[in-house]
Amino acid sequence: MNIVAARFIYPCDQIPDFAYDYLEHRLPVTTALRFRTHLKFCKGCAEFVRLYRMAADPVQFLEETPAPPELIERTLEFLENELGKESDIR
Amino acid sequence: MTEALSFEGVNDAAFLARLRAGDSAARLAFSNLVRATHGRLLGYVRRHLGDLEESQEVLQEVYLAAHKGLGGFEGKSKLTTWLFSLAHFKVCDRIADRTRDRAVFRDVGDALDSDDGLAAVRVADGGDAGDSDLSRVTVWDSAPDKVLARNRAERWIAAAVAALEPPGCDVYQLRDVEGLSGEEVAAMLGLSHAAVRVQLHRARATIVAFVRARINRAGEFETQGGKAVRA
Repeated sequence: MNIVAARFIYPCDQIPDFAYDYLEHRLPVTTALRFRTHLKFCKGCAEFVRLYRMAADPVQFLEETPAPPELIERTLEFLENELGKESDIR
Repeated sequence: MTEALSFEGVNDAAFLARLRAGDSAARLAFSNLVRATHGRLLGYVRRHLGDLEESQEVLQEVYLAAHKGLGGFEGKSKLTTWLFSLAHFKVCDRIADRTRDRAVFRDVGDALDSDDGLAAVRVADGGDAGDSDLSRVTVWDSAPDKVLARNRAERWIAAAVAALEPPGCDVYQLRDVEGLSGEEVAAMLGLSHAAVRVQLHRARATIVAFVRARINRAGEFETQGGKAVRA
């Protein structure tokens, strides 16, 4: 990191502590500004925050395998058997 | 007649009233509840257990418990949150069963490794080594969900998610994967809001550490703009 720039921004070891609140937009404006400035100068921390952001939003790449429709029917059949005919839920 | 309901749609107060009516409309509403929530709940259970058949079994138990417990549902949380709670407890039970099975497996394995291994197993088993204890040993596929990862970093994140351990794992699954609010997760798991925040942050940081270690190990890859590309 640029030595001059480092005087005005946070040290690397503080960056992870801010990541959660940064993503939640809960950092005070000046803190967020210094946080972002750090990321501009520091490739390692920028990568940390990028991965942290990905980790906080995994749905986009975690496969949600659609359940085969027969599984729903099996579930309904199971419930029907377990709960008795008077509780025919189908 | 089935009603096309969305996952969030089951939280509607009128739908809940129909579920509790105790008549034929209630039974139909329950089947609609199953149809609307089955995919999300199965995904949640499967991310913990891995095996589809076992997850389906657990989910059946969840719906059975929901049907029986619906009268006691006070409506303090959303119905979907309550269902996630039931699923969470059933998953915990199942994992506890596995842990017990694993302990048996370890004990049996240790015994077999010892000098008089088979004899020890026979004694512990009250007779034939091949029967009860060994039959309780469950070998299961703990492989994580198959992931459709668009790049290497994403695949690593998916693997890291699957490798998370409780309690951070539960908080992460409910909050980041299932999208429940911090308040809902706190209520479900009996944690303070601050504890949820801490656990969630630790889980995310663990994932990042896991991925970075692999990026460093791979060496020839340089991450760029959300994608891992060859340098």
